[in-house]
Amino acid sequence: MRKNVTLCMLFSLLYFIASAQNNTVIKLVHKVGDKTLKLHTETYFNQFNEPFTVHKFKYYITGLQIEYENGKKKYTFEKPYHLVAEEDSTTKMITLNKPLKNITTISFLLGVDSLRNVSGAQTDDLDPMKGMFWTWNTGYIYAKLEGQSDSSHAAAHYFSYHVGGYKFNENAARKIVLKIDEKSQPSINEITIEADILKWFAGANEIKISNAAVCHQPGALAMMLADNYKNMFTITAIR
Amino acid sequence: MKQTKVFLILLCMVCAGVAFITIEKHKPTPLKFIIPKGWTKPAFDFKRNPLTQEGFELGKKLFYDERLSKDSTISCASCHQQFSAFATFDHPFSHGYNNSFTTRNAPALQNLAWQKEFMWDCGINHLEVQPITPIVAENEMAETLENVILKLKRDTAYVRMFKAAFGDATINTQRMNKALNQFMVMLVSSNSKYDRVMRGEDTFNLPQRLGYEIFKQKCASCHKEPFFTDFSYRNNGMPLDVTINDIGRMRITGNKNDSLKFKVPSLRNVDITYPYGHDGRFFTLDNVFEHYRKNMQPIHTTDSLLKNKLYLSNFQIGQVTAFLFTLTDSTFLKNPMFAAPAYSKQTILHQH
Repeated sequence: MRKNVTLCMLFSLLYFIASAQNNTVIKLVHKVGDKTLKLHTETYFNQFNEPFTVHKFKYYITGLQIEYENGKKKYTFEKPYHLVAEEDSTTKMITLNKPLKNITTISFLLGVDSLRNVSGAQTDDLDPMKGMFWTWNTGYIYAKLEGQSDSSHAAAHYFSYHVGGYKFNENAARKIVLKIDEKSQPSINEITIEADILKWFAGANEIKISNAAVCHQPGALAMMLADNYKNMFTITAIR
Repeated sequence: MKQTKVFLILLCMVCAGVAFITIEKHKPTPLKFIIPKGWTKPAFDFKRNPLTQEGFELGKKLFYDERLSKDSTISCASCHQQFSAFATFDHPFSHGYNNSFTTRNAPALQNLAWQKEFMWDCGINHLEVQPITPIVAENEMAETLENVILKLKRDTAYVRMFKAAFGDATINTQRMNKALNQFMVMLVSSNSKYDRVMRGEDTFNLPQRLGYEIFKQKCASCHKEPFFTDFSYRNNGMPLDVTINDIGRMRITGNKNDSLKFKVPSLRNVDITYPYGHDGRFFTLDNVFEHYRKNMQPIHTTDSLLKNKLYLSNFQIGQVTAFLFTLTDSTFLKNPMFAAPAYSKQTILHQH
């Protein structure tokens, strides 16, 4: 008898674990126009026909929140600060500890809120050792795009965009809100969000590598880049 | 059956007792921070980073450890020497990795608990992120944070000390900096002759007293007591050195009105922290006085108090100098508590 009860409990526990594993995953795919991003080797062209390669592509997703059940419920991702890096595929799969359905909105801050910029050394993805931190002028780099381009007038034809800034008139953190029109999604396993690097160069502002190859501090250029790349995300698939 | 129960209960009690003792044993000893009489409340957040004996000792070990640099030749203390109030003695620029020069004069490290922003341009907004800057700077310690943390994790002495200070053996940037901060904020200089006079324990001689009066009229609006700085940034008419092109505060704000503004340095221990100025261009106090009364080049961002330079007679310079010498705090400069761990505890025989 006792054996049966134990077995019963074990099975229910297993079932519980199995059902909990039924999560929704957000998959981030990095693109350059219609091509999938490949670091170092591939040469791309921006809207001004400037050739470029990409060595680094990183950004912070802060306070990821999803409205589901047709906007009736809100789910906030447990990890408040998530650093996405092209070279680390694990950072491009965000596993939500909840199976979601009928999603209406996905929103997050692209960057780091100003409070974390002024509160001393942080841990985990905000650890300054992640290389997304300005040491001489305290503050986080919210997004980083580095590569080489024959159009660049900088040393070794590098171009390097480090965007950040939390102070008044320099705040480069951008709120991203992605809406979903699709009516019914009874159960969702995977949401694909694409980020298009070409958006960095054009949109609100025209940024040519030949004119501005380097952005290494908060200020006007950082703000212009942020206003461009805030439109780089699109939800391309829900299944 | 009953026996088993009794045994189990006893076992539980013993376990709880052992756990209690172990937890007690790992609790670090609080370290008291004394605010000198009449001084304002420190800006340092003691709740975020409570001072403990273990944290302080760890911070001191880190401060004196050359392994924090790329080739294990430079520690924090290499450029922040106790006998020079933790400035670099007798050097306009400090020496960094691979025969490099810094581009600014290393400031004295004292009374940091009252300071809100750091560096000559005040580009660093929190003491807890300050130690990262010299560690990663190519012309200072030139090391990466990853490597520093890796080196610390591989050293069992550090693992033990981090555990003692923070309760578990996790070693990361935040904990390293918290420990360094504990050592840094304890560097309080408040026992110079000036302080003793203010407390009524000593008296100025005539030149010192006259110098103090002149100082209060001519210098104290920027070099405000008791810190001998008002923590502001000002342009004091030092022309741009075109070999360095250091524009000061403007580098941080991007604002033209901040061009050539630098932090007002504290004058505590000024006698032993020469050379002076953000780039150490003044080798003696006399050079500084000559700058103020003759050589300065006011521009549009020069402080309004200095638009017509700062006149001082030879006599006044003599008296003010006598007063400034009373700001030397020998108890701070010689306090064994702040000396390199090896020297304060045991003698090491060097065998060459």
